[in-house]
Amino acid sequence: MRITNNMLIDNMLSNLSRNLNRVSKYQNQLSTGKKISLPSDDPIIASRALKLRTDVAEIQQFRRNVNDAVSWMEITETTLAQIGDVMQRVRELTVDAANGTKTPDDLAKIKAEIEQLKTQMTHLANTTYSGRYIFSGFKTDKPLMDEDGNFLIDISNSEQIFYEIGIGDDIDINVTGNDLFHGGSSAGTAGTKSRMIETFDKLIAALESGDGEAIGDMLSDIDTEIENILRVRSAVGARMNRLELTANRLDDDNINFTKLMSKNEDVDIAEAIMHLMNEMNVYNASLSVGAKVIQPTLVDFLT
Amino acid sequence: MSSSTFFGLDIATRGLYSAQRGLTTVNHNVDNINTPGYSRQVLEQRAARPILMANGTGMLGTGSEIVGVRRIRDEYLDVKFRSEVQHLGEWEVKQTLLEELQVMYNEPSDSGFNTVLNEFYNTLQQLSTDPSSPANRAALKEKAVMLTKYFNSVAVHFEYLQNDINEIIYAKVQEINSLADQIAKLNQAIYSYEITGNVANDLRDQRGHIVDKLARLINIEAYEVSYGKLPNGRDDMRFVITVSGKPLVDHNNVSHLAVTQREEKLNEEDIPNLYEIHWADGNKLVVRSGELKGYLDVRDGNDGLNGSPDFRGIPYYQRKMNEFVRTFALTFNEGLIHNSDGTLEKVYGHVDGYRLYSEGDTEPAGIRFFTMFDEYGNPMSSDVFALAGGPDPDNPDYDAMYRQITAKNFSISLEILENPTNNICISDRAGEVGNIEILRSLIDMRHNPYMFNEGSPEDYIKTIISCMGVDGQLAMHYLENQTVITQQIDNRRESVSGVSVNEEMGNLVRYQHAYKAAAKMIQTYSEILDILVNRLGV
Repeated sequence: MRITNNMLIDNMLSNLSRNLNRVSKYQNQLSTGKKISLPSDDPIIASRALKLRTDVAEIQQFRRNVNDAVSWMEITETTLAQIGDVMQRVRELTVDAANGTKTPDDLAKIKAEIEQLKTQMTHLANTTYSGRYIFSGFKTDKPLMDEDGNFLIDISNSEQIFYEIGIGDDIDINVTGNDLFHGGSSAGTAGTKSRMIETFDKLIAALESGDGEAIGDMLSDIDTEIENILRVRSAVGARMNRLELTANRLDDDNINFTKLMSKNEDVDIAEAIMHLMNEMNVYNASLSVGAKVIQPTLVDFLT
Repeated sequence: MSSSTFFGLDIATRGLYSAQRGLTTVNHNVDNINTPGYSRQVLEQRAARPILMANGTGMLGTGSEIVGVRRIRDEYLDVKFRSEVQHLGEWEVKQTLLEELQVMYNEPSDSGFNTVLNEFYNTLQQLSTDPSSPANRAALKEKAVMLTKYFNSVAVHFEYLQNDINEIIYAKVQEINSLADQIAKLNQAIYSYEITGNVANDLRDQRGHIVDKLARLINIEAYEVSYGKLPNGRDDMRFVITVSGKPLVDHNNVSHLAVTQREEKLNEEDIPNLYEIHWADGNKLVVRSGELKGYLDVRDGNDGLNGSPDFRGIPYYQRKMNEFVRTFALTFNEGLIHNSDGTLEKVYGHVDGYRLYSEGDTEPAGIRFFTMFDEYGNPMSSDVFALAGGPDPDNPDYDAMYRQITAKNFSISLEILENPTNNICISDRAGEVGNIEILRSLIDMRHNPYMFNEGSPEDYIKTIISCMGVDGQLAMHYLENQTVITQQIDNRRESVSGVSVNEEMGNLVRYQHAYKAAAKMIQTYSEILDILVNRLGV
């Protein structure tokens, strides 16, 4: 085939351009650290990258939700422990007062302490976490009960607060006031007295009457309340365990998905450098060979 | 035996002229090595008509004569080149423009749609863990604004690009008309010159070069037709260029292309008054290939909908984004979501929620979270927005209501903008600040795979980006292939018609020798004549 000088030059230029394109591609990869800069470079990598980024972002958000849930429930646990302690003290005092050997003066002293414990209990019922009443269900801006133990708000099991801790996975993080203070019933209406505080009131009335047998009868009511508190505590404990397991799983998922995300879109620096050096060699070789080939013609040799 | 006295000188002079002509041709070729479109010329030389000797001693040669200067050109390669370069032009344009479109979406990155949507949903989650906090509510409003502004920005950029392409189309049409005019003039010049029986070598080269340029812009067929016989017996050849069957250039007549602004939009997503190209005499123009087709496809392409080009161009992506914001807003606001058998299901939407401070309210606030900008650029309130749903507020035409929203005017509502703390309605009962039942429904929408045909919101966006990526990759591959094909044809043309310096130098030496020899002959004959004239007859 007949070859002209212009053909040599044109071909050399187009090949140089192609080489330089490849050099540019690897140089781009190295400077951005990513395999692709536009979806058209590799649509599959791009599509997977979008999905994995969403996954990682979701996992990190769920982890934050779990943290928030754990804080809330820790406060709940502490408060439940204190409520349990108060009830235990009431039981001790009741046992003491029921043995029949107490003078009216002693009974008066015991009654005074029971009244203090009643006030403490109503305060515990209105515990807050970050400005929100933890036993008030959805009405976190309103206290659960007044000084006399009457519910200030309607409260029911439908007001459980659910946090999302996974896709399609949520957990209720609060204890509703009716569950704890109204003997495990499903609802409590505003204005009615909570059963736990009613127990206190009955006890105080029995102490006032001085009737040892009546005081002794109160023990079974107090035990019922203690059992209820224990039931709620174990439920909270179980949920805390579940949160801990979820937190561990989310941490593992975070690492795994981040690894996947990086494997998908990040470039292997060593490999990219090697490719770049390779292409640079090819480019240099084509430059020097091209220069040698395009220069001489017959004109140089005719004198 | 008789021959003319100066016969020998005559022959030698002819030789001199031939050699001289040869040298001129070499000179011309070498000068034009870098002229684009130039075909090398060779001297056609033959022995002159010999004289028949009467006494039977054979023919007497009379030297050489120049028949003509021939242009070395393979017309078939020209036809092949023009049929391939139009596709090269088309895919080059499409590849560049698709790259621009992808840059506008800016995915995958840390600031693209995916990130914006993720942060919006994360803020919704954050709100669920402390629903009464004004800080969380303000943060949600800001993330929502970011989301809507992303769509506004992409839509506006697409419109700018569509406008730019429109202007380029106008310029290209003018270029086509101008090239056609030049070709017509050259046709006339070549015709007048060739009528005398010569070949207009350089003019044909010029014309061929211009036709190559034109072939890149639009799909043409160029050929010479015979209009009958000339008086001297040769064919009356005229040069014709047709576009999709109708002549653009017919000898020295030109039918120009013209543009008029469209009164009716081809796609509802278009900007108004785009140019429609047609023949100046009013006939419809069919553009099949070339750079012009590339521009038209990207500007008008809506995947074949409503007679638009069968290409996923700017209107297609605008339509997809409009669909997204409409469905997203409808579901988020009203809680209407498609379920697995395609019917609309009602779940909790923002419009079913109570305000933060809603003690004593008997019914939901009816606030829509997403509405649109009105014609003054201010966000609409939920009530004004709902007016488009018809006169019956209990049975609105949701289709008509949400059709008003486009990616360009997508916005949060006036109520949310003015008072995010109170007006973000996530509670399903009055007066309960910790109630997040509506919010849970809104968060669940993220993973609902029936929201769109393509799946959940993130799947929808992923589909669009993948589509664009695959189209872009396809364009790149076609472009690479066409570049190689076109280059190979061009190489062959250069091989046939290109000037080789070595060859010309060889010819130079050859003609130089011929000239020297002819000159020597003249000198010899001069000496002979000298003897004849001066020495013989004194």
